[in-house]
Amino acid sequence: MTQAQPEPATSATLSDPSSRSTEFVAVQGGGETTSAASLLIGAYLLMWGLLFVFVFLSWRRQARVETRISELEKAIAAGGGDGHARQ
Amino acid sequence: MWSRAKGRNHADLQPYCSGTRFSLVTGTKDKWFYALLAATAAIFAYLIGYIFLVTPLAQLQAGGLAQKIFYFHVPAAYAMYLCGAVCCIASALYLYSPTDARDAAARAGADCAVVFGAMVLGSGPLWAKKAWGVYWTWDPRLTTTLLSVLVFVSVVMLRAFAGNGEAERKFASALGVLGTVTLPIIHYAVLMWGGNHPTVITKTGGGLRHPAMTHALLVGFVAMTLLAGLLMWCRTRLTLSLSRVARLEEQAIATGQIDY
Repeated sequence: MTQAQPEPATSATLSDPSSRSTEFVAVQGGGETTSAASLLIGAYLLMWGLLFVFVFLSWRRQARVETRISELEKAIAAGGGDGHARQ
Repeated sequence: MWSRAKGRNHADLQPYCSGTRFSLVTGTKDKWFYALLAATAAIFAYLIGYIFLVTPLAQLQAGGLAQKIFYFHVPAAYAMYLCGAVCCIASALYLYSPTDARDAAARAGADCAVVFGAMVLGSGPLWAKKAWGVYWTWDPRLTTTLLSVLVFVSVVMLRAFAGNGEAERKFASALGVLGTVTLPIIHYAVLMWGGNHPTVITKTGGGLRHPAMTHALLVGFVAMTLLAGLLMWCRTRLTLSLSRVARLEEQAIATGQIDY
């Protein structure tokens, strides 16, 4: 397994474009104690959670729209009288 | 097939709404949708397995185990670019010649750009906590990414709450075009202004020092492309069906079939 060699942690100089990061360096003052595993699990849960919520909300809204289309089509086909669709 | 906004007729949307049920996908395109869905699911399953079983751990400065967020974080950012580009192109086309389909594609692009942007902005800080020691820093790329997502959020909010008239659609389209201008700024933010955000993807190899890392990232790009396509497909269908509801309601009101 070939890995990038660790370098001493330094703070990047924001004002100098030539000093932009090509590796991951620690920001000065950050006291990191959280476990990598919990952060990894949290990130994956967050990403997949967002995705599933979006898909679920889209699916639920699509179902409601389908119902509404069906109601309107029935009302129009009935040509009035008892075929009214209430708002 | 694509109906024009002017001279609207609900029959224009009939190919998407066959039968009494207007499903997420319709007609002959069903098999393509399900094929895409199956391919996406398969490639994500492969990707997750590959990331955790094959891809080696990165160095501690990259977050060690937390660096595996990278294989979804970066492709999600790319998917945000992709959805933003779709929003921009569809919005520009809508401004040139308004149609329901172009409006639906623009809206779908903005919706999906927000979702992928949220994935990027949600996962990035958790990785940064391990790699940098802080959840957030006002780095140029982070800041421009946040601003870009906020622009797409504004497009979505505008369409959700400002009505569905021609003026609102055109205003949202203009915002969609302008919002996409920020995407190249994000991409080149690190090159122009420096900052803490790494540039691990470079022509010289960057920070991906192991072939398995590169492979996982490339598979991630493919997976997110398919996912973005699926989500935009679904959201476009949803917007088209909302347009169809509007047409049917207009027709039903005009003929006295529904009461308000």
